[in-house]
Amino acid sequence: MNDMIRTDNLSRTYGSGAVATHALRGANLAIPKGSFTCIVGPSGHGKSTLLHLVGGLDRPTTGTVHIGGVELTSLDSSALARLRGSKIGFVFQFFNLLRTLTASENIATAMMLAGVPARQQAERARELLERVGLAEKAGARPGELSGGQQQRVAIARALANDPDLLLPDEPTGNLDSEAEAGIIALLHDLHRRGKTVVVVTHNHEIAQQAERIITVRDGRIAA
Amino acid sequence: MTLTRLVLKNLTCRRGRFIFTLLGITIGIASVVSFLSLGGSLKSEIRRESAALGANLVVTPKGSCAYEQVSILTGEQLPTTITADEVARVQEIDGLTALPFLAERTAIRNRPVGVMGILPAETLRFKGWQVTRGDYFPDTEAAGAVLGAIVADQFDLAPGGEVTIRGERLPILGVLKETGGKDDLTIFVALTTAQRLYNQGDRVSYLAVRVADIDQVDAYAEKIKEAVSLGVVSDKQMLKSVLSIVGTVNITLQLIAAVAVLAAAFGIINTMLTATYERKREIGILLALGARRRTIFTLFLLESAIYGVLGGLAGAVTGLLFSTLAAPHITQNAFTAFVSGSGAVGPASVGVILGAVVFSAVIAMLAGVYPAWRAARLAPVEAISYE
Ligand SMILES: Nc1ncnc2c1ncn2[C@@H]1O[C@H](COP(=O)(O)OP(=O)(O)O)[C@@H](O)[C@H]1O
Ligand SMILES: [Mg+2]
Repeated sequence: MNDMIRTDNLSRTYGSGAVATHALRGANLAIPKGSFTCIVGPSGHGKSTLLHLVGGLDRPTTGTVHIGGVELTSLDSSALARLRGSKIGFVFQFFNLLRTLTASENIATAMMLAGVPARQQAERARELLERVGLAEKAGARPGELSGGQQQRVAIARALANDPDLLLPDEPTGNLDSEAEAGIIALLHDLHRRGKTVVVVTHNHEIAQQAERIITVRDGRIAA
Repeated sequence: MTLTRLVLKNLTCRRGRFIFTLLGITIGIASVVSFLSLGGSLKSEIRRESAALGANLVVTPKGSCAYEQVSILTGEQLPTTITADEVARVQEIDGLTALPFLAERTAIRNRPVGVMGILPAETLRFKGWQVTRGDYFPDTEAAGAVLGAIVADQFDLAPGGEVTIRGERLPILGVLKETGGKDDLTIFVALTTAQRLYNQGDRVSYLAVRVADIDQVDAYAEKIKEAVSLGVVSDKQMLKSVLSIVGTVNITLQLIAAVAVLAAAFGIINTMLTATYERKREIGILLALGARRRTIFTLFLLESAIYGVLGGLAGAVTGLLFSTLAAPHITQNAFTAFVSGSGAVGPASVGVILGAVVFSAVIAMLAGVYPAWRAARLAPVEAISYE
């Protein structure tokens, strides 16, 4: 049982009848613990859908997902939410942060949802901001941060409850190449410290540095 | 971070909408509070005036309606049609004391004040008045005025001074001890003086009748009706019909208040529904961070509740201020005239504020249930894909 993620015949159809979109059509996948995996593939071919199903943010139409040995479809929505909060760290492409909150408060919110008492939140948020190199931006709101800085805060927030699995979905999709390099370096650093990272990207350079590359095409895993 | 802080951050970052939604519920609650306290003080004032009248029966002009009966209690002017002959015929009946009153109005420094023509000695006994300053009328024909306590106070009048009524200067004879009723707001003159000043001949406005045997009130009313062709009501009937008018006024006021509250509730529903659309992305992020549906529901409901609590507080304070400050100035109509004497902001206000806050919070939370349910029902992927 060394796989962090295993999917069996995973499929997801949005809508039904004539307007049905088969976003995923039977994806089989096994990703080992502690690995760094890139998911690549054309736009609209089901990469995000796969990531959402793996992270318990959505439920498959058919098939199963195992995360660290736990079968997700058997969990009720409350248990699934708890799993998202404790075991998984999502990072999205756009508008990742809650814009009414400061960097530190964004991170603290993730801790609050996992039941961390209020007085322990600030200290740990500070440590995490330090880890992503933004210690001095604790009090800044998203609007006052650059795109790269916002994504760093989002990564720090994904780490808030020390999850095993990081799922960044095109985290550098709208960053310049310098900021992009910084984010990628950060993800590799986190991988070295023991996190399992599965990142969706369009960037071939990044993909080349990964241990494993998975190509998604037409809702299937290509060889 | 706590849920409450998260909600407060959201509210304070959207200040404009926050303030307008809050204003809505503040106005709603303020109207409930001011109308209720106006209505409440109206009723207690009427009971007090009825007791102060000290009569078992009141003889009124023929065919007078409930509105005119209110006027007797408020000291408003009435059609003056009862003649001296009719007064004498009522007074002849054995076993009752009947006192004529002539209710008129004057103005001191442009503010309306009631003038009452009375039979001095009889009325003193009938009402049980006490004189605190100066003297009372020395005889039935005495020219001069005796003032209610508040009139003397308000216009800085004292025995030795003068008041001008209908262009005639009358010496101030004395000031009555405060009664707590509308007598405090009235200038008393001898009946003959009032009839002369207001050209009323020998006519009076109404008769207050006290009977020797209280169990025989109805029989006396019949006797009076046989003797004269005038209206007769018992104090209880009068109280009942006046209270029913006030009740109608109250219901109207309460309906207005209910509409205001309803509008405020829809304001909250609207604001919160808009919020669920605008914050789809935010909801998605919270779900991805491990928020449960229940948490999203609580978050939105809490936001509504905060509107309710703050609006309730602001509304209660505004309403109380309005009913105590503004109401006394609206003395043009008979109903609000009652309120003028009663500046009662006592410990009751604390209860009113508390009640308003609870009421407002409950309304706001009811209004927030549907938007909160909508927000909580959002599928995570739908929320996260929202752009
Ligand atoms: N919530 C949704 N409702 C309906 N269709 C969707 C939804 N999300 C994605 N799709 C469709 O599913 C397909 C795969 O989308 P996605 O997984 O986002 O692709 P990728 O991330 O590879 O660009 C696309 O055709 C997209 O339009
Ligand atoms: Mg995508």
